[in-house]
Amino acid sequence: MNPDFIQARSKIVKQIRRFFDDRGYIEMQTPRLVGLPGQEPYLEPLWSEIKEADGTSHRGALITSPEYAMKRLLASGLDKIYDLGPCFRNGEPWDGTHDVEFLMIEWYRKGITIHQLMDETEEMTRSVLSDLPKFRRLTVEQAMKEYAGVELDVLLGDREAMAAVCREHHQTVNEGETWDDLFFKIFLSEVEPKLGEVPTFLWRYPVSMAALAQKDPDDPRFALRVELYVGGLELANGFVELTDPIEQRARFEEEQELRRSLGKEVWPIDERFMEALPNMGQAAGIAFGVDRLVMLVTGAKSIGDIMPIPVGERF
Amino acid sequence: MASPNDIKKGVVIRDPQGLWVVVEFQHVNPGKGAAFVRTRIRNLQTGKVLETTFKTSETIDLVSVEYRKMQFLYHDNTGYTFMDQGSYDQVTMSDEEIGDQGKYLRDGMEVNITTYEGRPLAMELPRKMVFKVTEAMDAAAGNTVSGGNLTKEVTVEGGMKVHVPLFIKQGEDIIINTETGEYVERSK
Repeated sequence: MNPDFIQARSKIVKQIRRFFDDRGYIEMQTPRLVGLPGQEPYLEPLWSEIKEADGTSHRGALITSPEYAMKRLLASGLDKIYDLGPCFRNGEPWDGTHDVEFLMIEWYRKGITIHQLMDETEEMTRSVLSDLPKFRRLTVEQAMKEYAGVELDVLLGDREAMAAVCREHHQTVNEGETWDDLFFKIFLSEVEPKLGEVPTFLWRYPVSMAALAQKDPDDPRFALRVELYVGGLELANGFVELTDPIEQRARFEEEQELRRSLGKEVWPIDERFMEALPNMGQAAGIAFGVDRLVMLVTGAKSIGDIMPIPVGERF
Repeated sequence: MASPNDIKKGVVIRDPQGLWVVVEFQHVNPGKGAAFVRTRIRNLQTGKVLETTFKTSETIDLVSVEYRKMQFLYHDNTGYTFMDQGSYDQVTMSDEEIGDQGKYLRDGMEVNITTYEGRPLAMELPRKMVFKVTEAMDAAAGNTVSGGNLTKEVTVEGGMKVHVPLFIKQGEDIIINTETGEYVERSK
C-alpha cells in the first residue's frame, strides 16, 4: 500500500461519480449478494450460505458483475444508470493485475450505439486521465489481420481451419479445445501484446465470445461487444445488450453446457432476469475496472499498491 | 507430463520441433476466456524465438534441467563466462542469451545458471543487489516526478542510471531490483 496512491484512488472514484452524475445518470446500489450469480464459463463466483432466523438456509454468491440486476432496473423503466462497487471473482491469478475483490464501474444507457458507447467510455477515461492520445478503434477482425496476418472471416465457426492456423503459428492444438481457445492462443501471443501504448477499443467479436451481446445486424457471425485496452491492460468490456429472450436462453444453455463439459458447477438460469429482458429496450452497457485505471494514473506496478489492504495481506 | 502451470523462466519444453527454453512467461485470463500461460520460448538447437500460448488445462512435456550456483568470471567477445565453484566447470553464454541483465554482472558474483546436459540455458540474478552511487547531483537539477514521488537520476557503479529519492547522496550504497531496474531502498 502506498498512501499517495490511495489518495489518488479516492480522487479518481469521486471523478468517475461526478462524470456520470453531471450527465444525468443515476447511481444504483445493486446487491452484492445474490441467489443466482452470472454463469460465464470462465468466471467463478464466491459462494456462501445465508441463514434466516428460523434456520431456513439459502445458497448465495457474491456477484462477479452487477449486470443482471442492472438490466432488471433498465426493464423497470430507468434509462441511464451506473453502479460503482466491488465485484468478486474466485480462482483468478494473484499476479499484480488481479484481486479477488475489485472495484468496478458499470453503466448502461438506453438507445445508444456501440460507437456512442465507445465515445462515452473515452470521455470518462479522459475525465480522469486527460493526457491520453486519441483512442483508436479496431475490429477484432482488423486486429487479427494487422498483427497476426490471420483472416478471421473464413475461419469463423470452423474449428478445424482454426486448428490448422494455430499449427502454422506454432501453437499447440489439443482435443477438447474449442474454437475460442484456439483463437485466444493466437490473439494472446500475437495481438494483445502488440496493441501498444495508444488506447485501443477492440470491437465486433465472434458471436461465440459474447453471450450477452446483440449480433451485428450487418453480419450476424459477429457480436456488438467492445473491449478497451490501455497500456497493455484490459480495462473495460461492453456490449450492445441482447434483448431477445429466445436467443438469450439458447446462449445461457450453451454456457451451461460448456460449464458442464469443463466439470464445473451449473446452476439454474435466473428466470427473473429472463422475465425482465423483453422490457429492457435497446441499451448498451460497459463494465470498467477502476483499480486498473488507478494503476494507470499512479503508475503503480501492482494492484496491491493501490489497494488499501492488498490480497496478500488479507489471506 | 506437466502442466503449463509449472512453467517458469528457464524450464525446457520438448515438442516435435525440439527443445525450447522458456525465456518469459505470464499467466493471462482474457475477458470471457479460459486461463492461459503466454510464453516466449527459444529453440536450443536453432536459436529461433517464438511467442506461444498454452491453455492451462493442456499437458506439456517438460525436460529436467539442472540448477547450478556459479561465479561470474569475465565478459569478452565470446560472451559471459561462469564457473562452478565445486567442479571448476566453466560455461559461456552469449551476449544475446544474457541480454540486458549483463549490466548487473560484476566479477566474482554468484548467480544461478540453469543447464541441460551441461549446456547453459538461463541465468538468474539475485533479485536485489547493492550498488554504490558514483555520481549524484544535488536535489533540484534533474528532478522528475515518478508515481507521485519526487526523484532524481543518479549513476551507480558500472555506469547504470537509476531514479532515486532526493535524499540519496554520492558514495552511498543503494539496493536495486534487478527484475525492474528500479531503486528499492538505501542499503544499511
